[in-house]
Amino acid sequence: MKILAHSYVCPQAVLLNGKPVSDLKNEENPFKSAYQQLGVDYPKFYKMDVLSKMAFIGTELLLPYFPEGIDQENDLQLIFANSSASQNTDNLFVESYEKLKNPSPSLFVYTLPNIVTGELSIRHKWYGENCFYVEDSFNPGHFSEWAQMAFDKGNKSCLCGWVEAKTDGEQECFLFLLTNSENADNSIELELSTLIKQYRNE
Amino acid sequence: MHKPVYIQYLSLVSPLGNTVEQHLEAFKNGVSGIKLTEKAGFQDTSIPLAKREGNSSNRYDTLLREALEKARQKLSSKLFENMAVIVSSTKGNIDLLPGDTFASTKPIIHEFFPKTDVFIISNACVSGVIAINTAADYILAEKYQEIIVIGIDAVSEFVSFGFQSLFALSNEACRPFDKDRNGTTLGEGCGIVLVSEEKVSESAVLYKGGSSSNDANHISGPSRTGEGLVRSIEKTFKRSGFTASDIDFVSAHGTATVFNDEMESIAFGRTNLNQVPLNSMKGYFGHTLGAAGVLETIMSIISMEHNTLFPCIGYCETGTSVPLNIIQRMESKEINTILKTASGFGGGNASLILQKLP
Repeated sequence: MKILAHSYVCPQAVLLNGKPVSDLKNEENPFKSAYQQLGVDYPKFYKMDVLSKMAFIGTELLLPYFPEGIDQENDLQLIFANSSASQNTDNLFVESYEKLKNPSPSLFVYTLPNIVTGELSIRHKWYGENCFYVEDSFNPGHFSEWAQMAFDKGNKSCLCGWVEAKTDGEQECFLFLLTNSENADNSIELELSTLIKQYRNE
Repeated sequence: MHKPVYIQYLSLVSPLGNTVEQHLEAFKNGVSGIKLTEKAGFQDTSIPLAKREGNSSNRYDTLLREALEKARQKLSSKLFENMAVIVSSTKGNIDLLPGDTFASTKPIIHEFFPKTDVFIISNACVSGVIAINTAADYILAEKYQEIIVIGIDAVSEFVSFGFQSLFALSNEACRPFDKDRNGTTLGEGCGIVLVSEEKVSESAVLYKGGSSSNDANHISGPSRTGEGLVRSIEKTFKRSGFTASDIDFVSAHGTATVFNDEMESIAFGRTNLNQVPLNSMKGYFGHTLGAAGVLETIMSIISMEHNTLFPCIGYCETGTSVPLNIIQRMESKEINTILKTASGFGGGNASLILQKLP
């Protein structure tokens, strides 16, 4: 297993393979600015929830690194996780019926964490396998296990993501693209824990 | 598949009862758990729901503890040193908002199975089938010897109001695949199965393979062509070595919304499953979301065990562009191999195949 590329999106910055792509510190609407800097035309972006917006931006940056010669449409598995599920949108939806007395269907459809992988699949025409886990915290060992199991059953690459949008403001999206390289060392755990610490400035 | 993987039921709790035996009786007698429920909808409207008695808060925690208690009784004589738990749920305990809705899940499981590794899968209405598939992946990877899979969701105003806002609820008990279907009915329940490398109980059947897929089409509307479901079924056939002609029974998703059931009929037509006896169990359980895949897999195992096809209650007349072989009355049939499918929000689809032990 090998990490081909990785990206990190948070309200302060966008990074690709450890290097800054966008500085968002002075932006009033950071994810909108980051999207505009991508130079892609995908108006659906504006209606997405924060989880999907971050994952959308992070994924666009990884596109040049997708391995050639694999059936990306069918053999790419998406493996995502976070600790708060769709908490941010859940609370907005509750507000829509408790305070505004009008349950919002456009919010309700984002009250599931796996909408993120749905949005990415729509954008990139990926028909492959999906799974969304809810975990206590980012766990490199678990991602490594899940990816290995995905490869064991025939998937050729995995787009993995830790994507969090809590109501109290904690927002981040760490994405990494994996391939089942036979020659490489199969343990990516150490590399992943180093990367997320660097991205979080820990 | 390199080595056998077994699956057996441990616990089943829903408005139909608290034991597998009560569910078997309910299915034999065509009993539905759905009732018109006063003041359950937005602005105190009445909506049909498959809801257990009582209006307590923390319905999820109560349901989880009840089902776990029964599962642990069945396992009490065995010592599992290398076991994990996978929970499938769309919302967890919604009463924990504005905090983490899954915060209570792991502590409750640890009350019954201390220190066990717990994974939570939240992948909309396909969570249950994906959780069973993932459990089998873990067994095949030899990471664990047994995995308890828990499918659970509780009725809440949050979800009811949401489905009402989408105009996705039926005004009567839902009618899967019927001509007059006009929406789904929400339900609640908890089903627990054990996926293992060795046969653990008499109810054991073989897990033969499974997969998931995405429609890559729309986040809340089903694909018009059934493309995602077709790809999952075909992948599951390929992984299990089975074809449509091997399948004796299909436990479909069948939410009873106009577009979902139409999509499924097209997908079953495209995969040559339109002649295979098929039901949706939403007429009994309602749509139990993250629990559905596990509840319906348990009832499929019971169908195999008793060689009995259970009717798709709510269904009367063909209502899809591809006619399906919908089971209309209880009948005896040798059932060796079953296909379970699920589809849901986020464009997800999943499927798995089970086979009776030789």
